[in-house]
This record gives sequence, C-alpha cells and structure tokens, in this order.
Amino acid sequence: MTVADVVLYGQWVFLAYFVGINTGYLMQNVIAAIGIRRYLQTADQYEAENAFSALDIPISVIVPAFNESASIITSVKAMLQLEYPQYELIVVNDGSTDDTLDKLIDEFGMRPFPEAYRARVPCAEVRGVYRSVKAGNLRVVDKENGGSKADASNAGINVCRYPLVCVVDADSVLQPDSLRRVVRPYLEDPKTVAVGGTVRIANGCTVRQGFLEKVGLPSNFLALAQVVEYLRAFLFGRMGWSPINGLLIISGAFGLFHKETLVEAGGYNPEAVGEDMELVLRLHRLMKEKQRDYRITFVPDPVCWTDAPENLRDLKSQRVRWQHGLGQALMLNRSLIFNRRGGAVSWVAIPFYLVFELLGPIVEVLGYVFILTCAFMGWLAWPEAAIFLGLAIGLGVLLSTSAIMLEEISFHMYPRFRQLFALYMMAIIENFGFRQLTAIWRLQGLVRWLRGGKHEWETLTRSASLAEEP
Amino acid sequence: MEWLLRSDFDVATTVALWSIAGVSVTTIVLFGYTMGLRIVTIRADSRRQRFLAEWRDIFASSALSASAAETCALPTIRAGSRIDLLEEWNLARSIVSGDAAGHLMVLARRAGIPEVATQLLQRQRMRSKILAVQTLGHLRDKTHRDPICDLVQHDNTALSITAAVALAEIDPAFAVNVLIPLIPVRRDWPKNRVSLLLRFLGSELISEPMYRTIRAADDDAKTYLLQFARLVEAEVLDALVVELIRDSSDPGVLSAALKLVSGFEGVPRIATLTHHPVWFVRMQAAKVLGRVGQQEHLALLEALLCDREWWVRYRAAQAVASLPFLGPNQLRRMQRESKDPFAADILQQAFAEVGLA
Repeated sequence: MTVADVVLYGQWVFLAYFVGINTGYLMQNVIAAIGIRRYLQTADQYEAENAFSALDIPISVIVPAFNESASIITSVKAMLQLEYPQYELIVVNDGSTDDTLDKLIDEFGMRPFPEAYRARVPCAEVRGVYRSVKAGNLRVVDKENGGSKADASNAGINVCRYPLVCVVDADSVLQPDSLRRVVRPYLEDPKTVAVGGTVRIANGCTVRQGFLEKVGLPSNFLALAQVVEYLRAFLFGRMGWSPINGLLIISGAFGLFHKETLVEAGGYNPEAVGEDMELVLRLHRLMKEKQRDYRITFVPDPVCWTDAPENLRDLKSQRVRWQHGLGQALMLNRSLIFNRRGGAVSWVAIPFYLVFELLGPIVEVLGYVFILTCAFMGWLAWPEAAIFLGLAIGLGVLLSTSAIMLEEISFHMYPRFRQLFALYMMAIIENFGFRQLTAIWRLQGLVRWLRGGKHEWETLTRSASLAEEP
Repeated sequence: MEWLLRSDFDVATTVALWSIAGVSVTTIVLFGYTMGLRIVTIRADSRRQRFLAEWRDIFASSALSASAAETCALPTIRAGSRIDLLEEWNLARSIVSGDAAGHLMVLARRAGIPEVATQLLQRQRMRSKILAVQTLGHLRDKTHRDPICDLVQHDNTALSITAAVALAEIDPAFAVNVLIPLIPVRRDWPKNRVSLLLRFLGSELISEPMYRTIRAADDDAKTYLLQFARLVEAEVLDALVVELIRDSSDPGVLSAALKLVSGFEGVPRIATLTHHPVWFVRMQAAKVLGRVGQQEHLALLEALLCDREWWVRYRAAQAVASLPFLGPNQLRRMQRESKDPFAADILQQAFAEVGLA
C-alpha cells in the first residue's frame, strides 16, 4: 500500500465518521425539538392544576458529602426549603476528614438516632445515624469512607423510607420546584423507573442562601464554553434520546429513581468511575432481562445548577474521568450491545455511544495528527482540506446555534441580548482550541480506562465566579 | 477565494462545499429566528402586561358586583390578545365561587369568551384545545357537553383530564357515571387531579357509583380505585371495606382496604391477616392495629415485631408506640424485656421517633 492509498483510505474513514456523528446529532436535534415542544404544550396546564395533595409520591433526597464543610450548611438549608409536600433529606457523611459532620450536628441540632439499619445495597460500615431536632425530615448518616460517591449514595438508599429516591450533589444548587418538576413523569406513567433533569452551569450566577437568585454567564472562557456545551448536551443530547427510551445517562448531580428498582439493580456500583451512567445502563439491563415494560426519561426543565471547572487542570481531570467512566460503564453492561430484546438502547443508543462517544476521540485526535502530518509532508490538498474543515466547524456552530434556539424557545434563562451574543460568539470560538483539547483529554481517559485506572472522590476548585451572597 | 470556484473538485468535496452553504444559511436563519423571537417576546410581554392590567381591574370589579359585570365598559380585544384574555379569565374564574363566579360568567358572555373558546376548540394545537375545554367547563356551557365528553377519551393526558374536569363542571350527575369507570382505565391521569375531580363532584354524588364500580371491578382496578375511596361517604366506605376484607383474597385489594379501616368493623379478620404470606398485607394489618387496636391485640403486634420483613417490624413498633393504653414505662419495659434483638432494635427506633428513647 502506497502513501497515497493510506491518505485516500484515511480520508474516507474520517469522512464516514464525520457524516455519521453529525447525522446522529442532527437527528437528535430534530427529535429533541419535537419533544420539547410537546412537553411545553402541556407544562403550563399541568403546573396550573397540579396542586399538591396527599397522593403525591413522597421522595427521599440523598446528599452524599465528603469534605463539604464550606458549603454543606447552606446546601442543606436550601434543600430543606424545597417546594414539595412530603420529602426527607438524608445527608451521608462519607468519612469526611474536615468538620462537615460537626457543622451539621451544631447547625441542625442532630442527635444520635437508634436506626434499625438494614443493608439492602452494599456500602462501607455505617458508624451512626443522626436525626435533627430542628427539622423532622432531616437525618445524617455517618459512615466510614467508602472512597466514592456511589458508596455514600448506597448508604443513603439503605436508610431512606420513601418510594422515590433523588440523589443530588452536595454542592448542587437546586431550583425550589425541582422535585415537583422531576416527579411529573412518575405521575404520568407508572412504568417510569428513573428520571433525569437538565443541569445548568452555575458559574456567573448569583446564589443566595443556596438558591439561585439571578442567572448570569461566567466571564471565565472555559466556564462559558461549558455553558454552550451543557446546552447541547442536555437540550438535545439527552432530550433526543429520551423519546425513544434510549437515555443512557442521568447526571449524578440530580436524578430521581424508583427505589425498589434501584435496590433490585443492586444500587450504585462503588467500583464504577462514572457511577451515574453505569447505574442507568444497569437499570436498562435489569429491565430488559426481566422483560418488563419501563421508562427511563428526561425532563428538559432546568432543575439543578452546578459549578463547572474554571481551570485547565480541573477540566482535564473531569473529562478524563468522564471518558474513563463511559468506557467502564459500557464494558460492564456489554451484554446490552445488540441484545435481541434490547430495543433502541441496544441497537441505536449504545452503538452510537460506542462508536462516536467512546471511540470518537481516537478518530478525532488521529484526524488532527493526520492533517498536520499531511500538511507537513506536503500531501495535503489545501482547497479540499479547507472545505472539510469549514464544514466541520460550520456543523459544530449549527448544532450549538440550534441548542441556543431550543433554550430560547423553551426556558430563555438568559434574558439579556448581551448574554445571547456571548453564547453565539462562544459557539464559534469553542471550535478553535476548546474542542481539540477536550478530544485529547477524552483520549487520555480512554487510555486510563484501558489501563485500569482507579477512581476516588475528587475535590474540584470552587469557581470564583459563582458568587454566594450572604 | 478563487479556488472555491474551481470546477474540478471530486464529488465528495463538491457535496461538502454545498453542505457548507446549506449549513451557513441554516445557521444564519436559526440565529435570526432566535433574535427575532427574543424581540417579539419582549414586545409581546410588554403589550400583554398592559392588556392584562386593564382586564384584571374589570374582573375584580365584576366579581364583586353584578351591575359592574353587566354594564362596565369593555376594552377592544385584538385577535392576538384573545388567548391571554381566556387564560386570565380562567384564572379569575378558578379562584372565585358563588355569586362572584356567576358575575364572571355574565362578563365572559359580554366579552365574547364562549365564541372564542368554541373557535379554539376546533384548532389542532393542543394548548389551544386545552384552554378552550377549560373555559367551556368554567362557563358550564351544556351545548358543548357531548364534544367534551368525547375528548375525555383523548390520548393526550392533559387534554383528557381537563375535559374530565370540564364535564364535571358542566353536568356533574352525568359526569360521575362516565368518569368513575374511566378512572382505573386512565392510569395516566395524575392521581391528585383525580382526587380533586372527585372532591369537586362531592361525596354524595360519587358514593354510589364508586361503590358499584369498585365492587364490579377486577382486583387490579379495585386496588387502584380504593386509593380514592376515602372521598366517599363514611357509611358507604365502612360497608365497602368490611366487604372487601371479608371476601377478597388479593393482597393488593386487602392492603388497600386495610388502609381505609377506621373502626372495628374490619377488625374481625385482622388476626388472620397478621399471618398473611404477603408482607405488605401484614404491614397494613399492623398499622390498623396501631389505629384501632385494643389490649387483646397486643400479642398480635408483639408477634409482628419479630417479623422477617423490616417494614412489618417497623410499622408494628410504631403501632405499639401509638397504643393509648400503654404508658412510657410499659413501653420501655417491653423493649428491655424483648428477647428478639430485631424487635428490640426496631422498638428502640420507633420510640426514639416519638421522643421515648
């Protein structure tokens, strides 16, 4: 095979990948647009007449916390004010080495509680359970460090009492009506076993007493790029898979699960790097194996705001971990791939994730190397290369533009024209550097998974732009 | 840029070139649409606020006075504001009752709201249909009873439940016989809205059809309907519960019926139900004993404290802690003397919950 042949075949491989991934994204976009339109048509009506009653399903909110001393009190105070008729809040202190537990005990009047504990899903040893004398629906589980959020979440599942379980990050900022919004699919369809909600970037927003007061955009370049990225990921990434019951990820920052199904699936996997995705895949697998009719669905409402990394070190760490988790989750649930009874999950969603999300970074980074090599060696046909590069960038901008439009049609959280312009500018600029960097980090994550790296709790540097007002 | 105009590109490159043009145009269109939408939304919001401020005053004065409803001057209603008007009228109508509701209906007829609602009902857009049905229901407009009755069967949940509520408003006596048999079929109807609907119809009207429907239903439908049975008249409920506990063997039905036991009527079979093979029946039996149990039932509860299922033990312990004839000292002694460690643990937890630890 000559060099010319290699270049020719290489071109066709990259072209096929390019056509495949963009066709997939454009289809998700169309499905998401239809889904959001349909959702919004009935949302107001549902809201207006869906007054609370004793028939609402009670929810256990689980907050795993490891060394969250700085934010835990504000977070718990905010979570105790959620708009929902019946819920309990369970904070799991996963062997924090700071004063997270002491702060909780002092602030909320926590007293040791003789919980008749039962271990339904595996987790590290529980040292004790505390109950608040100030807030009757607040309990704290103090346990040995299990090394992961999954282990802490499992301890929470073991002590919770209600039929629905909502696992949230301790540093998440929740919308006051988040539980009411995310419970809607359970009320509409009793076959629902898990629901995810849209997570937005909190950097640049004003947070008061744990609640979002004013939506803003971050001034930090990396955080702003992630705002556009999250719009794409949630508004059409997740919403595009949900109508065909092909949703593979429910963000660990906020997810609502049917408890008995969660327990039946064995709870979170403490060994999983991406425990959120691994759990959703395992739920799909369980339901398929038991041949049960089920729904894993998604609500487009912004229910949770999270802090995004603002420096390269933290962002790299996050992306490497996500890719590692993706590989591991797919491998652990590989029996789903092209499973005869697997439906859209097995035949559409997982193959797409496998080819374009898991292996995508290899093709993308190889593509960059290929182009640079060809350019260096003088093998590159510049006009053709410029055209394909232009198309790649153009499609990237189109997808982001579409996500911004979906946001404007649906929730218009960014009310100023200046904000809208900033998002559009970022939709263009992110194609020059940011996407290439994330592709390289994802490749590193893939390598780390193949080499069997281990995962532990990670503490990211809190963003300076997420202004907490007193 | 002359190279772009070359004609010797291969097919793939030519397609890519045209794709760039398509993608660029689409992006610009989407961008323009988004910006235009933003401008239109801002202007429409401002106009809407002015329009609604004017009408809110009219609704408020009309609700308070029949003469205001009949004679007040009405502003011109532009075509684009009609939906806003209907939404606002529905909001006002849903928060008033009695004479005020009647006044608002008079005002609605003067403002042409029934005609607007009738037009919206013909539209394909779901939101318009729902608004129309809601309005016609609030107007108690009997001429639309049959089309609304048809919409109760619609696949769209929001539309069908709104139609059910509207039907109940228009003709309650007719609606009970249509809607109650539909409740176990339409599991997509949010339970709290079904509950509100039944409350609206009233216990007097729903008791007999509920009793009849529950008795005739299969076990699954029985279990589902029993969730709403608390809304029927007390004597009908008691008779129904006794009958179901006596005759049913289905765990779901038994469990749902046990939740409704309020006196001793259903108790005779309780002793056997505390040994039922299905754990949630035993759990509900424990809860009943906590509510209505007497001294002679204590032994049954003590046995349930050693049950293999955590929830049965937990509910039995809560039941023990709530028994009126046992004082704190007796409860503590019971826990100390318990030979079963599971029973002792669960009693400790239940006592701690009521401040007895």
